[in-house]
Amino acid sequence: MLDIAFSKPALPKAGALVLLIAEGAAPEGLAAQLDTEMEGGLTRALEAASFKGRKGQSVTLWAPVVTVTKLLVVGMGPLAGLDAEKLGGGIYPQVSGETQCTVAADGLSAAQAAAIGMGAALRAYRFDRYRTTEKAEDKPKLDKITVLAADPSGAKAAHAPMKAVAQGVFLTRDLVSEPPNVLFPAEFADRCKELTKLGLEVEVLGPKEMRKLGFGALLGVAQGSINEARMVVMRWNGLSGGKKKAEKPVCFIGKGVTFDTGGISIKPAGGMEDMKWDMAGAGTVTGLMAALAGRKAKCDVVGLIGLVENMPGDNAQRPGDVVTSASGQTIEVINTDAEGRLVLADVIHYAIEKYDPKLMVDLATLTGAIIVALGHEHAGLFSNDEELAARILAAGLATGEAAWRMPLGEAYDKQIKSDIADMKNVGGGRAGGSITAAQFIQRFVQGRPWAHLDIAGTAWSSKDAPIIPKGATAYGVRMLDRLVADHYEG
Amino acid sequence: MIKLRRGLSKDAVLLRPIAEGAPHPSGFAGRQGQVLELSPGERWIGADHAATATEWEGVGAACIAAAGRAPRVALDARELPAHFAVGLGVGAVLRAWRFEILKARRAPGPRRLELLVDDPAALADAWARAEARLSGVLLARELVAEPANRLTPKEFARRLRGLESDGIEVEEFGRPALRRLGAGGILAVGGGSAVPPRIVVLRWKGGFRAPPVAFVGKGLCFDTGGISIKGAAGMEAMRADMAGAAACAGAMLALARRKSPCPAVAILAIAENMTSGSAYRPGDVLRMMSGRTVEVVDTDAEGRLVLADALHLAVTRFRPQAVLDLATLTGSVITALGHHRAGLFHNDAALGAAVAAAGEAVGERLWPLPIGGRHREELNSDIADLRQCVPDGTRFVSDASNAAAFLREFVGTLPWAHLDIAGMDTAETDDLLAAKGTPTGFGVRLLDALVERHFEDPHRV
Repeated sequence: MLDIAFSKPALPKAGALVLLIAEGAAPEGLAAQLDTEMEGGLTRALEAASFKGRKGQSVTLWAPVVTVTKLLVVGMGPLAGLDAEKLGGGIYPQVSGETQCTVAADGLSAAQAAAIGMGAALRAYRFDRYRTTEKAEDKPKLDKITVLAADPSGAKAAHAPMKAVAQGVFLTRDLVSEPPNVLFPAEFADRCKELTKLGLEVEVLGPKEMRKLGFGALLGVAQGSINEARMVVMRWNGLSGGKKKAEKPVCFIGKGVTFDTGGISIKPAGGMEDMKWDMAGAGTVTGLMAALAGRKAKCDVVGLIGLVENMPGDNAQRPGDVVTSASGQTIEVINTDAEGRLVLADVIHYAIEKYDPKLMVDLATLTGAIIVALGHEHAGLFSNDEELAARILAAGLATGEAAWRMPLGEAYDKQIKSDIADMKNVGGGRAGGSITAAQFIQRFVQGRPWAHLDIAGTAWSSKDAPIIPKGATAYGVRMLDRLVADHYEG
Repeated sequence: MIKLRRGLSKDAVLLRPIAEGAPHPSGFAGRQGQVLELSPGERWIGADHAATATEWEGVGAACIAAAGRAPRVALDARELPAHFAVGLGVGAVLRAWRFEILKARRAPGPRRLELLVDDPAALADAWARAEARLSGVLLARELVAEPANRLTPKEFARRLRGLESDGIEVEEFGRPALRRLGAGGILAVGGGSAVPPRIVVLRWKGGFRAPPVAFVGKGLCFDTGGISIKGAAGMEAMRADMAGAAACAGAMLALARRKSPCPAVAILAIAENMTSGSAYRPGDVLRMMSGRTVEVVDTDAEGRLVLADALHLAVTRFRPQAVLDLATLTGSVITALGHHRAGLFHNDAALGAAVAAAGEAVGERLWPLPIGGRHREELNSDIADLRQCVPDGTRFVSDASNAAAFLREFVGTLPWAHLDIAGMDTAETDDLLAAKGTPTGFGVRLLDALVERHFEDPHRV
């Protein structure tokens, strides 16, 4: 992880220096000091480059003074409405080849200085453990950014919880990026166990325990694979300290299909490799729990993830099978590739029975239909609770992890009526596919406040964004951390 | 449509909504969906918890569905408040409608409808208003039901001329006029057909001078997909690909019949998308009426091309206070929302909210969908100002949003809402106001209600 340090404004002794200038503003503070040292050279250079401080503008000067190898001047746009995280994320790729870098945020608040560091760290993430022959010069050299702030200790304090969240994000990105031969349910569960060092209580249930609990829906999905299913329960008792519960916990539930071939209803070959990230819901819940524990959130939260591998096999589930879920409701499996909802059904039921949550949010890369509906800029949000939905939408806007509300309703629910069982696992045809999936899940929430995030379109990115490098996005970690921070702490 | 009467005529079967009461020995308890054949001349229909006019429409439809072969029926609305009585009648008319002119023998079932009310005179005004709206819905349904060999672009335009008798001005832009206008979008789409395309403009002057409300409709009399031809299965449904234009025409008739004070205009882009030697091709670059160039990627994404020209014409010629376009535009909106809600896109939050509320009020429900920055970016073309859609073969394309982003380019800054009504033109199940498989007329009531609620106050505009 890119190390972020804070110190008092002073021209660095060595390395790259980044100056930040607002739209229409003249060099001030450290920038003015440097300009003087350069005998007005900075001002002249900016004029020559028609630099106006607009967002996205930048000017590079090599070795303008003896102590600075590279000077990067970055436009911030208008100061009102500055997104400091994105600013930091935008800076990182321009300095990643340096060995030392200082960002002068002396004109900004402590919180903004901290956010610049956070943005740079989020962008600097790389999943390169399987690149064995990459040349050293192709790897980023920068391992630390020093942010100069008027109030370095304030910035450092503001950055501490952000760092914990970033570590959660990276855990999620690691899990989602891991190939499916490495990350199967048992391995995933083992990695969750490591979170005990953050103070989380971690419990792992195997097939035997789940069979006892009647998890017919989840185990039906798993039965085609030689890799056994797991359910992992991660508890963070930040409020009660594990003693008598003062309040009902918040539950986050994730779909963790470590690889989804589709099962007997097998997927076409093109793009199937993407199905390694069909566990992104579980990955997000795991990273979120690490984030909450890492920043010692003052709330009781339970994260539950259902981990299976969906394979065709001699004992695989067939279309036409009827399974009995932990809730007792029976499900006719029409399409074995609509497996995520089967996993969630049992885990959600368990969450309710065991933890009596005040609210539940589930995350799942559930349907292709949600990508057709919304594209890649919004996750689909389904909820039976207006207040919870509004809070999630707001937390999404605040963190840049946007969601879009989608409808629920009886007319859609009717589409999953089965002739033989209580329900079937697909709605018949492609019509409203993400909605019928949400209706299915809703049948297991017993009317509790619940929200479902269909993240199939947002869990993975095919191109770089300011604070999200191409690949696993960890969509949801920052949003739900914010949700907890804003409404359920303390 | 339905006669208001005080008493039951002798040969009519009485259909009586029962809202509550002690359970009948048969098990009938008045629940919605329940029907009791009390005697050959009387049926009870469950109406419990019907508490809105829309719900009473559902009961009216249930009455007709329960009437069986009875040719003459009377729905009992006595003791119902006026708006519920009207709802009952509206539901009955909508459900009883059938398209039978092409059948040698008509199927048995209710044809003569009566609504029993305590005081027919007192309800006459409210009913007249409802009937105006219904006439619009039924016009739209008839147009949608007509097969494509009968309802060609030429015939569609001819029928629209019939609206002149209701005081609507009708103007037609044929191929020469479209060429003069530089309408490269609709000319390309209609170029493959033996029957040339046209834009028909309907104008209702209303009662005050103000910029009109503009309805823009996609009127593809048949859509084979063109060179990017569709699969054979289900292609017959493409006769309904003019449902947007039909709904706009129906809404204009409703406004005229009830003498709405609001000035309104409908711009209907009418064409047939055929494969032929003169058909347009994927790769073609079109110069649209607005002057923009568009790269064709898929000739089956033709709706947005004809709408782009129609929208441009609407915006530049009429400077409307609001533009609403209706189109059976994308399969992707069906994947997104199914057959229970149409997709709503807009560039104006107030208009978007008003349109959604009007839809809720009449039971023609919408759901907002996003136009994200990326949806527009995906339309960047290497050769033209923009491309028409994202190439097929890319998995999971949010084409409904892409299409909306495309259309937005031709609207300018006027308040605009786009209703993607694919999947809503034809009833998918039997429990609605239209029998399964028949046209719904979706959009007519919504547009009429929107105008009634928001655009009839001359001091507001």
